[in-house]
Amino acid sequence: MDGPAVEAGRNQNHLGIHSRGRYAARRGVPRYLDMLARHGIKATFFMCGYDAELYPEIMREVLRQGHEIAAHGYQHESYGLGEREPELLEKTHSILADCTGVAPVGWCSPSGRKSELTLPTLKRLGYFYDASEKDEDLPYLATIGGRRVDDFVILPNNTVSLDDAPLYVQGQATAAEALRNWLEELDAVASGDGYIHFSVHPRAGYGSGTPARAAAVDEFLRSAKSVPGLHFATLRELAEHCLANPSRWQEPRR
Amino acid sequence: MTPALLVTVNIHGIGPEAASEDTDPRLLFGRLAHGNYAYRIGLQRLLDTFAALDVRATMFWPSSEAQRAPALFERCLSLGHEIASHGRSFEDHMTLSASEEADVIGEAHETLTRMMGSAPTGFRAPTGTLSSATIGLLEQLGYSYDSSFLDDDAPYSLSEDGGRSMVELPWNEGLSDATHFRRRLTQDRAESFMTEEFDALRSVEPYACLTFHPRADIGVARTARLPIVGRMIERARATGLKPRTCAELAKELAGAGQ
Repeated sequence: MDGPAVEAGRNQNHLGIHSRGRYAARRGVPRYLDMLARHGIKATFFMCGYDAELYPEIMREVLRQGHEIAAHGYQHESYGLGEREPELLEKTHSILADCTGVAPVGWCSPSGRKSELTLPTLKRLGYFYDASEKDEDLPYLATIGGRRVDDFVILPNNTVSLDDAPLYVQGQATAAEALRNWLEELDAVASGDGYIHFSVHPRAGYGSGTPARAAAVDEFLRSAKSVPGLHFATLRELAEHCLANPSRWQEPRR
Repeated sequence: MTPALLVTVNIHGIGPEAASEDTDPRLLFGRLAHGNYAYRIGLQRLLDTFAALDVRATMFWPSSEAQRAPALFERCLSLGHEIASHGRSFEDHMTLSASEEADVIGEAHETLTRMMGSAPTGFRAPTGTLSSATIGLLEQLGYSYDSSFLDDDAPYSLSEDGGRSMVELPWNEGLSDATHFRRRLTQDRAESFMTEEFDALRSVEPYACLTFHPRADIGVARTARLPIVGRMIERARATGLKPRTCAELAKELAGAGQ
């Protein structure tokens, strides 16, 4: 969602030019819930603890509509957290679990950073997947405390090509150009290479909450549905599928 | 709400650099003096364009800019455009204390009132930032609208933000010239972005807020860029949006109990 938690993490209020996160609550998330319902697709919503505190009803509505909620930092922390990291992971975990009655089992780093404390803490809290790595296009079993485990899986993302923010910010792409890029990625997967892990942010500014960019996502989902044999899954569903047969995912390209 | 097109202008001359360079405006030259284009050429070009299109725009004037360019201010007034407050001297309102902000907003309000002969009823944050006290201060001064937020596709009541009798007329970054020219896009690409944004927004709400600047660096006032203004306004008109001033729209929404 990347709501006002992002501004909070930057020490900004949520007013005026800093209200792009509020757009996610007012327009973006509702727009995406409608879009996903129309397409019959279930998604994973990465939520910040701070956004759940501000908008508990949004969290509950996301679950009511059959989607998954996973953890995404407290205030979308963009810096290394040092010794504070476990406490913040626990804080967001409690907020999300208490708010909806469903404990998250997956996490994605808001900044792309991890430390040696991250996976052990998540495992202790009952998580069984992390979606922060970018070094594969297939799932693989995690290594925690120096040992490869069979009950925690890495579901890599691709936040360069299959994310909206880098294309719109650094890439200065129009929505039409971003869509074209994603459709080319879809062709690669349709020809048998890996999976698509597609990440968008229903906020204004760097995200795809606003109408022109939301329309690009809408069209991408429509095109994805027409690829023969392509299945949609939440990250939790994918993780459960992999962990039902862990030996297959030690070396995914075996 | 009648389908509404807001044509808004942020009157930025030398003000942003005067505020951020922390220097006497008379000592700003070259790449620090882009703002002078607004006074010499830019704003007059926009006024001529609006006259040719029969559009009344909303001009957000910082009181410091009004004092620097009183003749241009007078011309906006006499041509029938709405004059609204754009703060005093490009202060970052998020960093002001409560009393500092009351002074800044109050002084801007008094200066504009004196120069206009009537009180402004609308505000847009000069650097985009507000404090948690801003809307409340404006409400006390009798403002009917703010236009500083990016968090909706259509107007909404500011009652939850301290403005019980005010409405928010949100602006849209994609429909602002500065968003594109600030990152040095060519004018063709800037216009592609603006039309892509407008077409999608129009299919969602009967509301669009265009924002233009009279400078040549971040603004649309160069001869080569100026036709974009007419094309966007005509594009909007063709979809049934009627150009309104912000004050007119705010009044209609207040009457409808929004």
